[in-house]
Amino acid sequence: MPTTPVFIVCSPRPLVGKTLVARQLSEFLLLKNGNVTAFDINLKEPSLLDYLPRITETAEIADTFGKIALMDRVILNDGVAKVIDLGFHAFDEFFRMLEEIGFMKEAARRGVSPVVIFLGDNDRVSTQAHDRLLEQIPPTALVVVDNEYVVRGELAEAMTHGRLLRIAALPMFLKTYVDRLTFSFTDYLRSEKDSSTELHQWIRTNFVSFRELELSLILQGS
Amino acid sequence: MAKPVVIVVGADKGGVGKTTVSRTLLDYFSANNVPTRAFDTEFPRGTLKRFHPGLTEIVDITTTPDQMKIFDTLNAASPSVTVIDVRAGLLSPSLVALRDIGFLDAAKSGQITFAVFHILGPSIASLDEIAETANFMQGAKYFLVKNFINNTSFFEWDQATYNSYFHRIKDATELTIPKLNEMAYEQVEVASVPFLKFVANKGAADEAANYSFVLRGYVRHWLSNVWTEFDRIKLTDLVGTKAAARSGEK
Repeated sequence: MPTTPVFIVCSPRPLVGKTLVARQLSEFLLLKNGNVTAFDINLKEPSLLDYLPRITETAEIADTFGKIALMDRVILNDGVAKVIDLGFHAFDEFFRMLEEIGFMKEAARRGVSPVVIFLGDNDRVSTQAHDRLLEQIPPTALVVVDNEYVVRGELAEAMTHGRLLRIAALPMFLKTYVDRLTFSFTDYLRSEKDSSTELHQWIRTNFVSFRELELSLILQGS
Repeated sequence: MAKPVVIVVGADKGGVGKTTVSRTLLDYFSANNVPTRAFDTEFPRGTLKRFHPGLTEIVDITTTPDQMKIFDTLNAASPSVTVIDVRAGLLSPSLVALRDIGFLDAAKSGQITFAVFHILGPSIASLDEIAETANFMQGAKYFLVKNFINNTSFFEWDQATYNSYFHRIKDATELTIPKLNEMAYEQVEVASVPFLKFVANKGAADEAANYSFVLRGYVRHWLSNVWTEFDRIKLTDLVGTKAAARSGEK
């Protein structure tokens, strides 16, 4: 039976592009598979729910009820890919919980493939968080995003040893354009006839990266 | 023939988690393939029996017939390990009874392996309990269990005072039972199954159950920590078996 991917988009720092990546990934999966379920664990940042209300549910991990409501759905091998947009404030608690409940082992048992997509940065908090993830997450399930708009230079060397996903910086006017709540990457690809535009190519490049990521998951599972 | 092993779990104070510790012991022995029987002295309705009905018999340890039922069958009984969950207030009287029937002498002379898991409460009264219990502990393995499962603000004793009591007992060993997520604990209570079955998502009759994955995870993690403590004190060596690959830890 094919495995069900669960993408956890995270960083211990705010405003590094988590929701942007989660948005694009959710739209990509929706376009490709026809379905996806996204969970928004953000209270203090612009949230995925605002962008993709039809496929996004809010989730809360501050108490056990919330954890049950989220994780009992995430652990299901139901063929519907899941994307978790994990707010920076919930980073520590979330990964502490994963460790305590033995999520990675149970996921492997149940045919669920978790992939942690970590938004890298060069500050100390990000470095420590990345070290922690290296201890907890198998290297094949950890992807570091080098978001050029945020990193502005070389990513810390320790973060470049494993899987890397590079996202080019968009010019400010395009960034403002894609940040609008009504903007959809898929709709743009469908409606924009000129495939040579910078935004068109940027979206396509990112979608290709996601496809490669998904392909590697399939190869891993076979 | 293996030497009989008797493990008494008790405290003079109620609500400190005696039955919880007994349950973890039964799960531990089950996972290590050690045949075990248990006696629940919470007469007439036993909590331990609710979780381990197949292994547990309810007895009134203050009566002679039930004392005979436990101790006269030690050599005859096929499971070599006997766990006795002593209800609140009965630890000291039980130890007196054991002394009077010559059980403690038998333990002292090595005919029986005898261990006491003394569950400590948060109050200073527990220290007096230690002093009282210590008088009976010659020839026994004495474990002082700090149980954090139902309260995190335990054991705020003055360390020097605690040590002065603790050191009165030669060879006493400290054990710590960590806290378990409240909701997970409640769900196991509601399910009325051993912790191991809850982790394995099974009902009382081994039928498939539908417990929360998160709560099962919390219980698995907690149970693993408790068993690490049991491994640390070499509990399987104490009962005469070597720890093997455990079914519940896979």
